[in-house]
Amino acid sequence: MTTRIHPPDTPPPHDPDDERLPCGRLLSQVWADWEEGTADPHRADCADCTSAVAELEQLETAVRRLRDDTENASGYDPAPLTERVMNVVRLELRPGHPLPLGAPDEDMWLMESAAARVLRTAAERVPGVRSGSCRITPEPDRPGRVAISLHILAPTTAPSLPMLADEVRREVGAWADHRLGLEITGIDVHVVGFADEPDDSEKGIAP
Amino acid sequence: MPGNRTPTWAPEEDAGPDDALLTVRAGEGDEEAFAVLVRRHAPALVRLATRLVQDRTEAEDAVQDAFISAWRKLPEFRGQSSFGTWLYRIVTNRCLNILRTRKPQSQLEAASQIPAPEHSVAPDRITEGRAAIVELHDALAGLSAEQRTCWVLRELDEQPYAFIADTVGITEQAVRARVFRARRHLTEALGAWR
Repeated sequence: MTTRIHPPDTPPPHDPDDERLPCGRLLSQVWADWEEGTADPHRADCADCTSAVAELEQLETAVRRLRDDTENASGYDPAPLTERVMNVVRLELRPGHPLPLGAPDEDMWLMESAAARVLRTAAERVPGVRSGSCRITPEPDRPGRVAISLHILAPTTAPSLPMLADEVRREVGAWADHRLGLEITGIDVHVVGFADEPDDSEKGIAP
Repeated sequence: MPGNRTPTWAPEEDAGPDDALLTVRAGEGDEEAFAVLVRRHAPALVRLATRLVQDRTEAEDAVQDAFISAWRKLPEFRGQSSFGTWLYRIVTNRCLNILRTRKPQSQLEAASQIPAPEHSVAPDRITEGRAAIVELHDALAGLSAEQRTCWVLRELDEQPYAFIADTVGITEQAVRARVFRARRHLTEALGAWR
């Protein structure tokens, strides 16, 4: 809270909607002071300022009622709207590259976004890891093979990031190989930040 | 996010991955991640849009269009702001355009669109409270689209002036001026009824 000792003496470029009260204060200033909790000793003794503030307070009472009346976000069921949005989204999917599966002559493909979803889940099998970006790109010089680049958030409790990255690489490699049947040339794991440990309060002291 | 002012429109429940991760995944084509974002943010955005355009159906249409436009723009979205802030801006500007194209509404029509109260209060309080809301609602119809948008974000959504300036794309001083003019108009209108 600040206190105004002297009257504001910068006559601002005059707003035609503003008004200079008989006491000399600008209405916009009196209301701004009220809104920001700026104390102005003049105001307490000034009938003009008091009545200007009273008008605004009366408005704010009605505003609070209108706000409460329209404050029903928690009761809103987002399912129908989500469904309508997703119906359009599913017509405009962005599946990414087709990725080769199996032998080069087999002509089997998996779309990148579907594969990425599986590999993000694989990475999150390592406790505390959250996965973000996952790009899987066919190797131009090695037909039938792909490279994986994965961004993760590491748990703050991880004792060694290189070891954590190895663990993630193992999980992702195993799922890419066994579940998806991708031939991979390499897995780049980028630690782009730290994840807040979920449910800390319930677990008590982290191990 | 520690240190940040918690926006009043933040989703109440926060299960599952955070918005930043989901936004990255959705940007890479993961539509399931996008669906989680839609479900999480829809209630607050519909409330915002309803406050702005005062019509639930139009509000839901605006929010739906905003999400679809966000899905299309996601690959270029570089996380300059959070997903929530980004959508808040898209919805606000869509509603501002709806208000701009709207013909001036008669006070009678405006009043008929106020939803009935959902809670039970003593009958005299209802009457008094309803009367104040109806008066305010009627007076709002006299504001310009720009004044009304800034006023709703400030007074009903309780956003800081700097945030409103960013959202609408004008200076903070211009936001303050619009809110002041809106209040001026509203206090005069409410006074005139008494």
